[in-house]
Amino acid sequence: MLTIQQLDLSYPNYPPLATIDWSIERGQHVALLGRSGVGKSTLLKALLETPLPPQIRCETSRIAYMAQSAVLLPWLSVRDNVRLGASLRGEPEDDSRALTESLLDRVGLTGLADRPANQLSGGQKSRVALARCLFERAELVLLDEPFAALDRSTRIEMAELCQELLTEQTVILVTHDPRDASDWLDAAWVLSGSQLSGPLDLTRFQDDRALIHALDGAL
Amino acid sequence: MITGVLLFLWAAIVWLFELPHYILPGPDRVARVLFERPELFLHHALITATEIIAGLALGAVLGMLVACLIADSPRLQRWTLPVLVVSQALPVFALAPILMLWLGYGFASKLAMTTLIVFFPVTAATLSGFRALPASWSDTLKTLRGHRLRIFWQVRFPLALPFAGSGLRIAASVAPIGAVVGEWMGSAGGLGSLMLHANGRGQTDILFAALVVLCLLALLIWDITQRLTKPLNRYQAFD
Repeated sequence: MLTIQQLDLSYPNYPPLATIDWSIERGQHVALLGRSGVGKSTLLKALLETPLPPQIRCETSRIAYMAQSAVLLPWLSVRDNVRLGASLRGEPEDDSRALTESLLDRVGLTGLADRPANQLSGGQKSRVALARCLFERAELVLLDEPFAALDRSTRIEMAELCQELLTEQTVILVTHDPRDASDWLDAAWVLSGSQLSGPLDLTRFQDDRALIHALDGAL
Repeated sequence: MITGVLLFLWAAIVWLFELPHYILPGPDRVARVLFERPELFLHHALITATEIIAGLALGAVLGMLVACLIADSPRLQRWTLPVLVVSQALPVFALAPILMLWLGYGFASKLAMTTLIVFFPVTAATLSGFRALPASWSDTLKTLRGHRLRIFWQVRFPLALPFAGSGLRIAASVAPIGAVVGEWMGSAGGLGSLMLHANGRGQTDILFAALVVLCLLALLIWDITQRLTKPLNRYQAFD
């Protein structure tokens, strides 16, 4: 699904943080771990570029993205936020009515469909963002620590929802801590120093010490 | 409370220093002239209010329009921003004679001066709103593959509105300067003109009363602008 060869991760006007070689199979769900500032989000941003850099080969252009914040339009209702992409593309509302309602049902927000997004809790906002992601029928889903700001129980709830709903897509989840999502992830890669290591079995991150060692590159 | 203290201090200074009323009339004299000739002040206040409100509206529309036009073009911003800054750096007093020469002594020159003062804060604030779009929004919008114009009108413009609102509130507090300076330069009516004539005739009580009315008018216009722009905060992005 995705092949990256010799991609330099760097901030503008700075030397490269790392040079990446990476390959992900279709349908895989992987975690990308690393401490803050190692270039995890920079790697995701490279995947969002149009056109893609020549070092990246991706079998699909249907990519969905969930940022660290829910990125909802506060004055729009939950329903209109879910179908925002269709609205921005000028697609008639009738064409996607059934899909919107079914997604609202699947993320458990049918009762809140008409509520403005600024009246939602953090967990509810994340559900709307996830539904909007699914609305795009993307084949590759990039999740950039979307649940980091939520409390632990809501994080686990969201991970369960992802496990239930993101079955067919290829998923890259950028995270500091993969443990809440270990049930639905197939493997983890760790970006540390100047290299990307993996695939690693998620069972090895079950305690804090192992996770810290992994983030430091001591694999 | 503060108004009460200021009135008390004003009266105390007049009483303590036994100031003649043609230098500094007491608040009682000013109040008396206000109540004796309300139609005089109302007539001139309406002229000034019209100039301020029209200038505020025109400046706001032009300011937001220019911000929308240059929002997506760093090159246009590089060309226009220095001109905008210079338009603010030149005091309106310096431009007033030129505007009078071009537009005459009527309403148009006052409107132009007020618009000029309002234009910059609205443009600058709205432009900051367009620039403040967080990276997470840009990345998300990329993946939604929307039309550029739709993204602009449905997402970026509404998200810039709270910024435009704060620019308008700043503009509302300085807009009276444009109108009054214009009236000082030459006008048949308005509070600035009334103050100038009262000063020339030694009617210090009318001069002060006109000043009080101007302060109240400025406060009222600022308060109305505050109320009118408050609903724009619903377009404030959240994390």
